[in-house]
Amino acid sequence: MIAVSDLRYRYGDVDVLDGLTLSIPDGQYCLLVGPNGSGKTTLVRHFNALLTPDTGTVTVDGTDVTDDPVVARTRIGMVFQHPRDQFVAATVAADVAFGPENLGLDRDEIDRRVETALDAVDLGGAADSRIDALSGGEQARVAIAGALAMEPDYLVLDEPLVGLDWPARESVLDHLDALAADGTGIIVVTHDLRDLHERADRLVALQDGQVVLDASPAEALDALPDLGIRDPRC
Amino acid sequence: MLSYRPGSTLAHRLDPRSKLLVQFGLAIAAVAHPTLPWLVGTTAFALGTLAAARLSPLAVLRSYRVVLAVLALAPVVAGVALGPPWFRVDPALRSALHVGRILPVLLVSAAYLTSTPVRDTRAAVQRLIPGKPGQILGIGMALVVRLFPLVLADVREVRDAIHARGGEARPLRDRVRLLAVRSLERTLDRSDRLSVALRARCFAWNPTLPPLSFDRRDYPVLAVGIALSVSPLVPV
Amino acid sequence: MATEQSVDLVDDDTVGLFTKAVLLAALTAALAQISIPLPGPLVPFSLQPFGMFFAGLVLGPLWGGVALLLYILVGIAGAPVFSNANAGLGYVIAGQGTGGFLVGFLVGAVVAGAIAHRSIAPKPVAALSVPVQVVALTAAVLVVYAIGIPWMSFVTGLPLTRAATVMAPYIPPDLLKLGIAIAIVQGGYLAGR
Repeated sequence: MIAVSDLRYRYGDVDVLDGLTLSIPDGQYCLLVGPNGSGKTTLVRHFNALLTPDTGTVTVDGTDVTDDPVVARTRIGMVFQHPRDQFVAATVAADVAFGPENLGLDRDEIDRRVETALDAVDLGGAADSRIDALSGGEQARVAIAGALAMEPDYLVLDEPLVGLDWPARESVLDHLDALAADGTGIIVVTHDLRDLHERADRLVALQDGQVVLDASPAEALDALPDLGIRDPRC
Repeated sequence: MLSYRPGSTLAHRLDPRSKLLVQFGLAIAAVAHPTLPWLVGTTAFALGTLAAARLSPLAVLRSYRVVLAVLALAPVVAGVALGPPWFRVDPALRSALHVGRILPVLLVSAAYLTSTPVRDTRAAVQRLIPGKPGQILGIGMALVVRLFPLVLADVREVRDAIHARGGEARPLRDRVRLLAVRSLERTLDRSDRLSVALRARCFAWNPTLPPLSFDRRDYPVLAVGIALSVSPLVPV
Repeated sequence: MATEQSVDLVDDDTVGLFTKAVLLAALTAALAQISIPLPGPLVPFSLQPFGMFFAGLVLGPLWGGVALLLYILVGIAGAPVFSNANAGLGYVIAGQGTGGFLVGFLVGAVVAGAIAHRSIAPKPVAALSVPVQVVALTAAVLVVYAIGIPWMSFVTGLPLTRAATVMAPYIPPDLLKLGIAIAIVQGGYLAGR
């Protein structure tokens, strides 16, 4: 379980997170929504100690993530908005291997994890492809595979669908469904709920650094326009 | 341009570390003695490396034609005199001999480039340089190779955007300043995103090193590399 | 097999400096491919020195040096990063007699960084005084020629004075680049970094 307690984080003169409390149980498919500047990205970057709280705590199964960032970053895989800026190698398999290499695993284990991760996103045949030659949707899937190779319990995706066309979007979402069905917790940060609200278990809306809505997506939809988020049914 | 081509020649099958040593060793040896017999010897050796990579010497010379054409001007420049006899042969010959020493270095580096993928050189650097410097340079090389095309596209986009808004009409100073500053900003934005991504993936000082295998056939090559590196100590 | 406890994470500040060095190496490579044709008999105006300028000012002597060293290493490894998409150790040593200028850029970045920051750890560019930055950039250009011209003389067998004469046409554009770099510093365009 990821547990966030009374988290505060200031950037310049702004309270980006203003005493936020939230917990996400294992295996949940959770949407994190809110207008720009509501603190979504800042919040998830605390989950794996990419940011350090001013006050408050973030724990994963009881361990404070700032005490053990390696465990936090292994258990919580993160995929960012601009896949092209997060790849470290020119070819697919070399990039996916980067995380496991940092864990110091032996080569056979790394190869096994790369193969499993690429199979999970249906890119098993593209191991030796050049990343820049892939489509946007395939690049997003390579980024997901890079996170999966750490064998995380949770996958956090920050605006993973921006700039993808409809088929690529559907394909990425279908792969997330399959991972969720296998028990991986999925946390999607987004301001666009189209195609997402039927898939998730839970919707958490942020505004000004606080949780203002926490419900099942079906229950939450009617309240969204008041929060400045488009109702995906319209 | 010369670049890596997959293949199974002897040069392809060697470990990049022994190839790097031979390449640097030959460069040291080649410039050590500007004499004709020495030049003939190093050139013959360099032709041998081309054979090991199954490269045609003529094709290699053709791909270096701009470099060679400019270098060939050096003896002419050296020989020109500002008074009678207007051209002096001795300094021209001396320069020709100096420039000639460069030829084997260029040939061997062609053999290396075409037979060694960039990731192998990166792996060699990471393994040859111990500790943190090796890790920084090894991973750094992989990242630069990965990001260079993206940054080049950024810079071209910035240049085109300046043109599209009538930038040619502005003085050169302004154009260059805009291009340099805007390109730098975009580059550093990429750096911020990359650094978060590296941290999220546990970027560590002590990762599993990229695989390389030093084979039995690499030992004689290694010995040749060492011999070349110390050859300037041999009196000629 | 190593356990996860033994993972020695690179600290956050170092990751930030490292990725900046990587990106400035890529920027140096990109700028080396861009040149602005000038009218008449003038040599084309290459933007390559700006990589050295920025690396020294933004990153200081150590990481600025790492940036230029990475640039040269990926070129030796075969990436087409030198002017006109050249690569290889042969090009670093010889070039068109101009190989020494690549090494000059490396030393120039270290010298500019050392003068501007006077410590290994870089300060924010806004904290550097403008006159010191001007001195740093000027010194970097002098270093490039101080290494490039003797190197050319060594490679080509030309006497030093003659090698210097051959390079003379490049000096006015390089002074112009220095002036532009100084204008960038004085205009505060790097102050956010």
